Order: sequence, then structure tokens, then C-alpha cells
Amino acid sequence: MAQSLYIVSALGAVAVLLMMPRRGPSASAYGVVLGAATLAGFWLYLAPQIPGGPSPLMAYYYIFSALAIGSAVRVITHTRPVYAALWFVMTLLASSGLVLLLGAEFMAFAIIIIYGGAILVTYVFVIMLAAQAGDPTDAEHSPIYDRQAREPAAAVAAGFLLLAVLLDIMFPTTPWEPNPAVEDPSDGALVRELLNDRPAAHLAAEGVPGAAETAAEARVTNAERVGLDLFQSHPLGLELAGLILLVSLIGAVVIARQRVAQEEDEANQSERAAPPGAG
Amino acid sequence: MDEALAPLTISHFLFTGATLFALGVVGFLARRNLIVMFLCTEMMFQGVVVTLVAFSRFHLNVTGQTFVIFVLTIAAAEAALALGLVVLLFRRKHTLDAEAWAEMQG
Repeated sequence: MAQSLYIVSALGAVAVLLMMPRRGPSASAYGVVLGAATLAGFWLYLAPQIPGGPSPLMAYYYIFSALAIGSAVRVITHTRPVYAALWFVMTLLASSGLVLLLGAEFMAFAIIIIYGGAILVTYVFVIMLAAQAGDPTDAEHSPIYDRQAREPAAAVAAGFLLLAVLLDIMFPTTPWEPNPAVEDPSDGALVRELLNDRPAAHLAAEGVPGAAETAAEARVTNAERVGLDLFQSHPLGLELAGLILLVSLIGAVVIARQRVAQEEDEANQSERAAPPGAG
Repeated sequence: MDEALAPLTISHFLFTGATLFALGVVGFLARRNLIVMFLCTEMMFQGVVVTLVAFSRFHLNVTGQTFVIFVLTIAAAEAALALGLVVLLFRRKHTLDAEAWAEMQG
């Protein structure tokens, strides 16, 4: 098992290395084929170890996962930053599909809304703001630092060695445990516990007849679970998160307001030095 | 849906999360464009998010999902500050090349 993990990581490293942007003839087609073959081979190798045999719904996992990994490779190999950002949106959508498969609906949609809707728009905005002169449709005119990777071999070796060690740690040699089914009985207990914080007379006064019976068959959705956990167990963390957002908001405004001394042709550029908005 | 997906083990999702994280590391080390480097840190966050939710599902402990909210908060704060700095650096030298700031090495 351990040897195969290292072999898979080495093959993936070679595939990503072939796809890295470089000068001279591109070998990315070989990289794509090798990478896809490595991923498919790894999953086929793992398939017999899945308890209970393959299930048709598992196709969703393979589709989302292949999309996420494939577009992640495209993010780090594309020579144009705008397209890298758009491929990252694809990674986001695929990984939120994976999160959806894990039964965390609230998180899946929060990722799409916050990441895809807010953070990535900021990235695309900044890429446009810092756009280089030149024909945007011609890849040959993109700046050299986008067309040539910095020490790709060392970077790929470091990243995939990390991957191999992580996989070696997390893949157990014992037979795999399937995910436990989501337990429903705890829902009623959770609701009862919440309602017991309030006196029964209070509930009756609010016109909640038979609150105990309702609680017994109540269901708690994923968003309600997350909300309960967030506000019951982590109120301090919530306040700190708000504080961090406030500090970064003020910091971004301060940074964006600064007028910087330009190192070249200052007179030329001074009229377009209006402070851009930061996310 | 939950019964049908029960055969999926935690290791599947950990594999995907670890791969996203490793690809983010590779991109951060290999790319020279400052914006793409920060995009790769966001990809590392994605790998961590998938891993956290997978552990949350496996242990039936919703705190893993709660922690994703904090990850998203930090990602948003980081994006705002980092992109503000990138714009500042770009206005100064008119390049996004990380190597242009090599003199800043300590």
C-alpha cells in the first residue's frame, strides 16, 4: 500500500511538471494523459477495497473529485491569471459538490456564495486592475513571469512529497471503515434539550401545545445544527471572527488609500493614481 | 442518499482534500505572479475545507463544519488585505512578478 502511494505521487508529480508553463515546446499533452491515467489507475486500484462494493451514486464522488483536481491543475498551470481565477471557480463548484455529498448543505452553499460570489470577484477585479498592456487574446504577449514557472521541478517535488506523506499517514492499512449513517434519534433529543431550557408554562403561554410531542419527532436540518453549534459552543470565536473582519476592512482601506511613490515616469502616471477600492 | 453513499469512506475525501492542498503548495512555490500565488493559497484553503467536512461527517461532529465558517472568514480577510497589498506593489513597480521584490529578503 505504502509503495503504491509513493508511486502514484511520483507519477502525478511528473504529470504536473510536464504541464507547468515553460519556454520552448510544450509537453502538456503528455502531462494531461499521464495525470488522468494516474488518477484513474489509483481509483481503480482502490475500488476493490471499498466495503460493500461500488454503488452507482459513488459516480458523483468520482465526477466531482476529477473536476476539482483537474481544474486545480489548470489553475496552477494556466499562463493567464484571469483564466486561472475562472478555473478556480470550477474547483470551488466541484469541491462544494463534494461537501454536498458529505451532507453539509449549508457549507456547500456558503462556499459558493462567499468564495465564488465575493472573494473570486475581488480577485478578478484586481487582475483587471493590474492588467498588463498587450493583446489579451494572444498568449505570447502575456508577461514572462506568467509564461515561465520558477523552479518547477523543486516546487513539484516538494508538493508531491508532502502529498505522498499525507496519504501514507491517512490511508489506514486496516480495512476501511465506511462512513456511519447520519443518526436521526439525536435530533429529538437536541430539540428537547433546547426546549427544556425554557419553562413549560412559558411555552404554553406562547401557544405551543404539546411541545414535548413535537420535539420527539422533530428533525434538525444541517443549517440548524451548524447554527446551534456555532452560537452555543463558539460564541467567543464568532466575536473574534467579526473583529478580524473589521480589522481587515480598516486595514484594506488604509492600504488602498496610500499614495505610493512610483519608481519610474512619475509625471506620466500621476493622474491615474486614484486609489482603487479593495475588497 | 445517506445509505447509498455510506460505502464512500473518509479516505476518498481525504485524498481529494490532500491533493487540492498539495496542488496549492506546488502552485504557490512555482508561480511567479503575485495574484496567482494568492489564488493558490485559496486552493489550499479548499483542500482543508474538504478535509474538515469529511472528518465532521465521519465523526458525526458538526464542529468541523463550524470551523469551515472561520476558515471562510480568514480567507475573506486574507483576500482583502493581500489584494490591497498587491495593488500597492503593482502601482509602485508596474509588475506582478514576485522576483521584482527579491531585495526584500531578510
